[in-house]
This record gives sequence, structure tokens and C-alpha cells, in this order.
Amino acid sequence: MMQQTGAATVDRLRDEIQSVRYREATHTFCRLVTEENRPLKSMIKEAIAAAAPYVQVPSHMMRLPSGEMRGVNYDHTILGWRGAISLMRELEGKQGVLPSIQAMWYVPQGLNVWEQVICAFPGHYARDAEQCNRKFPGPDAQVDRFDGPAWNPPTIHFDDHESIQGGSVDDRLARMTWAIAEGNKSESYGLFLGLAKEPAHRKQLKEAILFAGIIDLQDTIINRGGYQNIGHKALRARALVDIADYLGWDEAHELIYTVVPDLGCSPRLYGLWNEIANICRIELAGIAVPKRSGKPIEAHELEALTEVLLWGGPYDVNAAIMNLFKRGAGILDVGDAVMVGFQRYLMDVLEHPNAFLHPTHALDYLNVVQAWVREYDSPHQVKAIFMAARFMNDTIRSNAMIPRDPKFALEPRKCHRAWADGIAIDRLLPILQEHIRAQARSSTRTWTGRPNAALCLILSHLPDATGRTIHTLCAIAAHRSRSIAITGCRAGTRSSAATSSTSRAMSSERLPTIAIGSLQTTLVLQREELAT
Amino acid sequence: MSSGQESLTAAWRARNAAAAALALSEDQMRQAINAATVEELVALIEGFSPARSAGPEWTRTFEPLVERLWTWRDDATMASLAEVFGKRGLPWMAVSNALSPEHGARIRTSLQHPAWARLPAFSVA
Repeated sequence: MMQQTGAATVDRLRDEIQSVRYREATHTFCRLVTEENRPLKSMIKEAIAAAAPYVQVPSHMMRLPSGEMRGVNYDHTILGWRGAISLMRELEGKQGVLPSIQAMWYVPQGLNVWEQVICAFPGHYARDAEQCNRKFPGPDAQVDRFDGPAWNPPTIHFDDHESIQGGSVDDRLARMTWAIAEGNKSESYGLFLGLAKEPAHRKQLKEAILFAGIIDLQDTIINRGGYQNIGHKALRARALVDIADYLGWDEAHELIYTVVPDLGCSPRLYGLWNEIANICRIELAGIAVPKRSGKPIEAHELEALTEVLLWGGPYDVNAAIMNLFKRGAGILDVGDAVMVGFQRYLMDVLEHPNAFLHPTHALDYLNVVQAWVREYDSPHQVKAIFMAARFMNDTIRSNAMIPRDPKFALEPRKCHRAWADGIAIDRLLPILQEHIRAQARSSTRTWTGRPNAALCLILSHLPDATGRTIHTLCAIAAHRSRSIAITGCRAGTRSSAATSSTSRAMSSERLPTIAIGSLQTTLVLQREELAT
Repeated sequence: MSSGQESLTAAWRARNAAAAALALSEDQMRQAINAATVEELVALIEGFSPARSAGPEWTRTFEPLVERLWTWRDDATMASLAEVFGKRGLPWMAVSNALSPEHGARIRTSLQHPAWARLPAFSVA
């Protein structure tokens, strides 16, 4: 632990965030919470406020001198906070701050993404992905100057705005969603600020902003380079809703500033949304698809859906899902089945850790869709299940476009299935913890708290400051919020031998089974990485 | 004969016909691979680049092709192929690793098959 002198103050934290001194900022954040007894909620708000002006980009596409374009990454700082807030409730006492420290560590490294990708500002994109120090080294060859601190102030690409008020709520919501679609950031942001001040209409506002994020999704990432968003607009919309509920909407101005303008940022991708809207108009017009039906997915239907998700093409996926809806399945019935089908990919097909990147974004996107379907009402919800399934199928197909490298391939998980199935449910998390600890041997902490919180603690300790951990935090937080992972641990009485059967997953205990499948996959991957 | 038994028999006949067609196809592939020059094999492998692939269904057949190359071609040819793709750097690293002697040895061992079987234990897709 670094030593720090001088008072820990919010001004100091702000300065350290904006100057990309992430180690110092994290230390100050810890001191504010633990030594100065500042409320964690208040410090999270301050950290979000310090970063807010500097997380916008002019566009998520950048024109290169050659005339070609490259992608510009999406802000992940806010995703880290959402994951942290969700996970902290599972940790006892002072350990509740650990996920927030993970999020804080990331924040200073995630500012000014546009400048980072052109090596004009330090941060993890410049340091790691862009390898800027190789291109523009400083005077000391031993120092990576793109690890911070910053040598100039961060750039503001979108100024804060006043709220727009007046007019009916329905009219303003319609204007806001259209302004997002048209890329009118100022109007969409101003309208959102005005609507956010009206608690009576807050649920409509939350529904609308989630909808705006969900429908903006690329039709394919295959050979598209940066012309995609891999679900980030939906993920960020949900982060806004969840964090605002935590902070209180009256304290959410900077949070809104962080998220809402970017929803209208280019590129805005509605091709897939239009395709799905068209096929639903043709096939489901006049049919009221229930959220849950009395006709749950049968095992053979799950097998068929899994087959097309993993091995079929996009129109196979459309047809399989349409058939389920036409025969009376509910929106969440099919959404759960898509989730279970995806577990087969994780458990039996995926061979390389790097190949998890895009499929886990699709998983996170499906979590947003499922939350939106559960919490709100909209005539468009059936379409979102198609969107999520297409996204998952597309990431699987995208991975399959690249010949597998035998040098880095993991041993097929089926080789470890008997081992994983032999672990009792109440031992899954402790064993996972043991394996991760064995990898991160520098950690000297021990966990003696509630078993169902162990996973949260483990994730808080992951020695990784990149977006990958941020997405892992989000995925686990999403599971936690639906009691999936945690319920799976609490169940404790079921035979783990049943968990490798995806058809069993559609029983009344399907949600715990999903999580246990994921945990077993994680265990096996950890075990293989240790072996190598 | 019951209808269930008729159905089973018909399915097995269809399966046998497909297996015969596959065996014939594999034999044609064996002859084509044997007759191909290194340049022609390089051109075939280049079709697995994401930029040239006809889609995931095509690229998923890369591993089955590598199995057949290691089964039907000699070490010198495989070394020539590995050299060509090894020089192309990172984008072709997966391909050059698949053509490495270590991987070839693993494949040749794993494809051992019972004596009664007509073909090695190739992957179909």
C-alpha cells in the first residue's frame, strides 16, 4: 500500500482523477471513506462528477488520414460504478467498499478516450491497447508515460447544458428518443434533465432511456472493425438508471451528464432493430405475447434453440425464436432459454479466453433486456429478445470466423466435467476462490464471511484494471440482482451432477442452474489456466 | 416389421448412403491434396482469412482441413506451408501454429482409429 501525505479531500480526489494519477486517486478515495468517514455514496457521486466532463467523445468513429475509419471505445467508468454499487450489498462491513475501490482504480484511466486512441492523453487504452509509449516514448525508457500522470488537462467534448422543460411528458419523451436517434445530443440531454426532475414520471423516463439503448445495436460485428457498439449503449443506459436510483435522482446530474449525451453519439445503428420490427410486424401483428406463459420451454425446444444459437445463421435464429412465440411462449420464457443456450457455448465450445470478449458483451446486453422486460411494460419487448439472441449468435459466428490457434486453445471442458460435477454446490464458490487465489498469489487476504458473498469479494480482488474486469463485475452484478448466482449458492441441496444438463435448466429451478453452470465453467477455466 | 422398425432401418440405410458418399468425397479430397503443389495448398489455406472466408461455416472447417493435410502430406510439404505462413506474422499466427510439427504430431496421434474403420477419425465439421 502506498503512503500518502497531506489531507484527503474531495478537491484532491478530483485533481488526481483528472490528472490520471489513478493510484493516488484510489488511495485518496479509500482515505476519504475509511479515515475521514465520508459517506461512500457521497464519494461515488464526487468521483462520477469529477470524471463526467471528460468521458464524452465527438464520435465513436474516427476518420483516419487514409480516409478509412476506426472505432473509438465507449466510456466504461460508469459501468464499474454500477457493478460496484450492486455488489457492495453482498459484502459485510468495510469490505463493502472493495468493489468501489476497483471501480475507482479504473476511473482515471478511462478519461478522454478519443485522445487516448491517438496517443494524446494517458490511460489504459493508450498504455495497453494502443501501445502509445512504443510510438511516442518519453525521455526515460523505463517509464511508460501513458500510465499517467497527464501532461495536459483533459478535453471537454460536450459542455453541460440546461434542462429543457415545458410540454406534455409524452411529447417530451417522444422528442427525447427521436433526438437520440437523430444524434441531437443537446436536445436529448436537455429533455432528459427536465424529465428527471419529475418523480411522477420517472418510471416512464427510465423505460424510455433503456429502450433507446437497447434498440441501438449493430446487426453484425463480423469484419466491421469499430462500426459497432457491442451493446454499450444499453449497458450504459442501465448503469444510469441503477446508479441514479442509488444516489437519488436529485443527486444524479453529473451521472446523467456522463451517460445521456453519448446515447446520441454516432454511429447510431438501427438496422437490426428495423429488421426485427419488420418480421414481428409480419408474423406477430395482433398477437399479445405474454411476459410469462403457462407453456414453458420444453427440453427439445431448448435443444433446438441452442443448436441454432451456436451453429446456425442469423435467419435460423429469427425462425427458431419466432416459432416459440407463435406457439405461445412468453417473452421471459424465451429470454431465459437464450441465456441457457449460451451456457452451452461457454461450457462446451469456447476454447480461448480471448474469445470470451464479445460473447460476454452479448450476455450483458441480454441482462439489460431481461431487466427491462421484467421491470417495465412496452409493446416492443418481444423484439428485444430477438435482438439479444441475434447478438449472441453473431458474436459466436464472429469468433468462428477466425481459425483457432491450437497453441493457445484450452483443453475441452468436457475433459473436466466429471471433476466439476463432483463438486457439491456449497463448495463451488470456495473452490473457485481457492483457484483464483492460487493465480493471484500476491493476495494475502482471507475470506471468512458469507459464502454467497465470496464471489463478489473475489471479483473485487481481481488484479486487472481494464474493461474486461468491468464487464465481469457487471455480469455478476446482473446475476446478483436477480438472485441468480446467489440463489444458486443458497440452494445448496441439489445434486451438482444435474447441472451439466441444459435441459434440466428449464425446470422450476432453472435460474440457479444457469449460475452453477457458469461457475463450473469458470472453475474449469481457472483450473486449465493454472495447469498451463 | 413394425413402423418404428421400418423407420430405424430406413434411417440407417440413409446414414450408410451418406457415409459412402462422404468416404468417396474424402478419397477425392485425398487425391486432390496429394496432387496439389505447395502454392495451391497455400491458396486453399488463404481462403480461411476472415477477409476471404465465405462465413463461419467455411472457417469452422479449417481444423478438419488441417487434420487431412497432416494425414495425407509429408513433413517436408507441411514445413514449407508453415514457413510461408510463419513469415506473414501475427495475423496468420493461428494458421502457422496449426502447421507446426508439434501440432502435427498431436493430430497424427489423435487420429488413430480401429483397424476395421475405413477412414481415420477425421472431424467432419
